[in-house]
Parts: sequence; C-alpha cells; structure tokens
Amino acid sequence: MSGALLEVRDLAGGYEPVQIFQNVSLTMSSDTSIGLFGPNGHGKTTFLRTLSGIIDPWRGDIVFQGQQLNRPGERGSRRFRNFNYDAVTRRRMNPKLVARAGLIHVPQGNLLFPEMTVEETLSVAPAASAGRGRPKDMLEQVHTLFPRVYERRHHKIRFLSGGERQMVAIGVGLMAAPKLLILDEPTLGLSPKLRHELSAAIRTIKATGVPLIVVDQDVEFLQTLIDTLYLFDHGSISRKIERAEMPSHQEIMAMLFGETAR
Amino acid sequence: MNLETLLFVTAGGLVLGALYALMATGLAVVWTTLGIFNFAHGAFIAAGAYIAWQISSADASGLGYLAGALGSVVGMFVVGVICYALLVKPFERQPNLVLLSVITTLAGATILESGIDIVWGARSKQLSRIAEGDVSLFGVTISANEAALLVFVIVILIVLGVFLRRAPAGRAMRAVAQNRESAQLMGLDVPKLYAIAFGLSASLAALAGIFLGSIRFMSPTMGTDPLMKALIVVIFGGVARFTSPIFAAFIVGLIEAFATFYAGLYWAPAVLFAIMIAVLIVKPEGLFGKYERTVQ
Ligand SMILES: Nc1ncnc2c1ncn2[C@@H]1O[C@H](COP(=O)(O)OP(=O)(O)OP(=O)(O)O)[C@@H](O)[C@H]1O
Ligand SMILES: [Mg+2]
Repeated sequence: MSGALLEVRDLAGGYEPVQIFQNVSLTMSSDTSIGLFGPNGHGKTTFLRTLSGIIDPWRGDIVFQGQQLNRPGERGSRRFRNFNYDAVTRRRMNPKLVARAGLIHVPQGNLLFPEMTVEETLSVAPAASAGRGRPKDMLEQVHTLFPRVYERRHHKIRFLSGGERQMVAIGVGLMAAPKLLILDEPTLGLSPKLRHELSAAIRTIKATGVPLIVVDQDVEFLQTLIDTLYLFDHGSISRKIERAEMPSHQEIMAMLFGETAR
Repeated sequence: MNLETLLFVTAGGLVLGALYALMATGLAVVWTTLGIFNFAHGAFIAAGAYIAWQISSADASGLGYLAGALGSVVGMFVVGVICYALLVKPFERQPNLVLLSVITTLAGATILESGIDIVWGARSKQLSRIAEGDVSLFGVTISANEAALLVFVIVILIVLGVFLRRAPAGRAMRAVAQNRESAQLMGLDVPKLYAIAFGLSASLAALAGIFLGSIRFMSPTMGTDPLMKALIVVIFGGVARFTSPIFAAFIVGLIEAFATFYAGLYWAPAVLFAIMIAVLIVKPEGLFGKYERTVQ
C-alpha cells in the first residue's frame, strides 16, 4: 500500500506453544505517532518483538514503507510435540533486515551490553543505519540530547544507573537513523525527575521528525506525544482513540476494567 | 635444583603454556559468544595439523611450510563454519542448547577423527619445524622451533585481543555475546557473527595443531589430551576477560612442567588436578574473577 509508513495486517504471534496476541491490524503514516496502552502482561511487548522480528509472527503481514518484512505464509501445524521444528522451518522474519529498513526497536528494560563501554556500544549501533545519515552527526545528536551519556562515555554499561542506561538505549536507537522508532516503556521504573527529563528528550526526538510508537503506562505523557492511542488488552487492540477525544487516565481505566476500577 | 635446570623447566613450561593459551582462547571464543562448549575443538586441532601436512609435506603436495599453514588456517575456518551450521544452528533456539551441543559436538569430534583416520591412515606423521637449530637465552637452550612458537602465539593473541576490542567486527562479536537480542535489534547479523566466531575458533585450533604437529607425532586423536588441558585452563582461569584464560594457560603450563620435573610424567596430571580443585574450592568462579559468559 502506498502512503502508509507501517501497515500491520491481522497479525498474530506468541511464544511457542502459547499464542499471546491475535487480530492486530493498524496503519500509521509517516507524519503521525501512535501509542499503545494496556494492562501488564497482555502482550504489548510480545507484539513489538514480533514487529521487529525477534520472534516470528504466526499469521499476518507487516509492511513497512511498501516493503513486506515477513515471508508470506502461516505458522505450520506443530502436531508432533517432540519434534524440533526449528530444524526444518525457515524463519519468517529477519531482524537484521527490519532494523536496516529503519524500523528501530528500543526494547523494554534494556540491559544492553554490560561489559562494553557506552562509547563502544554507540559505535556498534550504526550497523542498522545502512548508510542513512553519518554516524558522527548522529553521535553528536545523541550527546546534545543526553549530556549524561557523553559524561559517562568511558564507563561500562553495567555501572550505569537505570536512567542512564535508558538514555543509552534510546541513543543506540537514534544512532541507527530510524525511520520509525519503537519505544517500549521508556520511563519504566524511573524517578519523577528522570521521567520528566526523558519525556522531554523523547518530545525533542519527535520534533526532529521521527515517527514514534510508544508504549507507556502514563497516559498524560502519551497524550503530549501521540496522535492516536490504541488500547491493547487480552492480546488485541480493543479500541482506537484519536487525539481529539483522548480521555483521561480514569476514563481509560474504566474502559479497560469496568466501573470497579479506581 | 640449580639455576640452569630451573630456567630450563620454566622455558618448557612457557612453551606448553603458549600452546594451551592458543587452544583455550579458541575454546573461549566459542564459549563466550555462543554459550556452548565445543567438544570438537580437539578434532579441529588434529584436522588442522593434517591439512597442513597434506599441503606442506614433501610426501604429499610439497608446497612448503607457509602454504601449509595458510591453507590449514583458511581451510579450518571453512570447516568451523560448516560444523556450526550442522552441529549447532539447528538447535539454537532450543532451551537446552547447552546439553544438546555437548552431544552434537562430541558426535562431530568422533566423525572428524574417524574421517582423518580414513583419509590419512593411522600411521604417525610429523610436520616440519618453523625453524631449525637451537637458540640460547640467559643460559638456557631451547629449540628455535619452540622459541618461534612462543613468539608467534604471543603475537597472534595480541592481534586477536586488538581485533575484539577495536575492529567493528570484533566489537560486534562481543556485543552479540553479551546480549543477543539487543544485537539483533541493532541490525547486527547474528547468525553470521556466530559463524565467524566458530570459524575463528577453528582457525585458532588449526594453528595449535600446526605447532603441536611439529613438536609431537600426529595422530587422529592428537587433540584429545590438549583439549582436556584447555578445558582445565578455561575453568581454572575463568573467562571474565579475554586475557584470563591466557594467564591461566601459562600458569597451567608451568605447573605441569614443574610437576613433571619433580613428580614424574605420570603424576603431573594428578598434581595439576589437585591444584585446580584447591583453587576452585577457594575461588569457584575461577582464578581471575567472574565465571561468566562475557568477553571483555
Ligand atoms: N520469553 C517468553 N516466553 C514465554 N512467555 C513469555 C515470554 N515473555 C513474556 N511471556 C508471556 O507473554 C505474556 C505477555 O507478555 P508481554 O511482555 O508481551 O506483556 P506486556 O503487555 O508488554 O506487559 P508489561 O506492561 O508488563 O510490559 C505474559 O503472560 C508473559 O508471561
Ligand atoms: Mg511490556
């Protein structure tokens, strides 16, 4: 399809043998950002890992910039429980191609490479940029956005605080010159001050023209960022809300959990 | 024991240590990147020696030493990649990969050794030396071959260390070793890097085989004993840093040389194991720290 940056059609997936999500379809254009919101453990991260090719989709298609990222087809039947299907089935997604196409995923709770320094980590990252943009410019951008990352450049990742690590993780995403940046709970477990700092940085990234897919538990934060909010529960999208009619946190809780919430 | 014997035994220990360092580093490259222990490493050592013999020996192709060494290193890289594709890749996503790979790499070792036996026969062969004659240093005389071996191993290990720290491909290999998923998301070609790690490891085994074949007689099972020693080295030193198995290799080599001198050839392994157990009781994570799958 032309026009759309990302088009997901009837996607389903999970961790063998358990299916986690199904019937997920969404379309986004390159001048919008979207948010996913939903209860813990309902499959948002699993869906994003499928998008970026870490795990194979069971069914459905992912089209990015007019290019189909998955090999067409469905997950075959797995009738023999003791058979190693990995030996005979080809993978349907290649995470390398996804990243090089510009669909960049900053995973939830990223641990990165504990024994490598910040500088070394950022030097590996342009592999995914596949010639888009110059690594030097992007490094500069990361350093202006996160002065902390520059200060800590000679330290090993395992000595960084959670917030600093999250900054490096987003920096790694930027080093890949993303066409679409996926942020999975970027502010999870951070202090209010750091959360504030990080959300400002994310808004700056959006302002430079990078479309975002953001998962977060903080609806107020999402509202400042996105054009469309998808409610994600029980493994599928239950509702699509445009910016104009964006409800408050309480209203969303009521939608998800019924009147008993609060 | 006078000074001269002391130096002589030390020199012998250093040569042994250099060999073990080469083997242990080869093992550690695969262990740290893929998280598996490659039991076919000993067979790789033998195969490397035989390929070198086939190319270099006057009884076979007779293309000279350098051609033999080069052919063996390149050939074993290819063999390593093929072994990875056949023995490890099909099980990569299985949760019990570690156990499965013990069986598959042991099977691979047996097949390779039998293959060598069929192709080249069981008759012992020997590779020519890098250099003839002796060299004397500080009053100790060792063969020029062993001296050259010591120097080469140190150079090779330094090059490897710089490669892992500085070269993009080396950094990428360390990245994959430390967090496979992040590496995938960063667009690194994980299967390719795994294949390179295996090939690199096999090339290091080939070098070890070439050196070993010049100081001992070659046989299809010539790698079994050194593999055991390399295993001791890796456990003894830990793999917290790229250099830990190297230091451990020299320590093991020296212990072995002195134990052989004092306790005799048959008691040397017993002494070595006793010391190793003692060290592991005090420091279970290995002599040099964290017993973890990371390349520093
Ligand atoms: N590696 C895995 N193997 C098997 N099951 C998993 C794995 N990771 C997650 N799951 C299961 O998949 C389900 C969905 O998890 P997922 O992480 O996608 O949820 P989420 O919506 O991202 O939750 P959160 O808001 O807490 O991040 C959970 O029930 C979880 O137990
Ligand atoms: Mg999640």
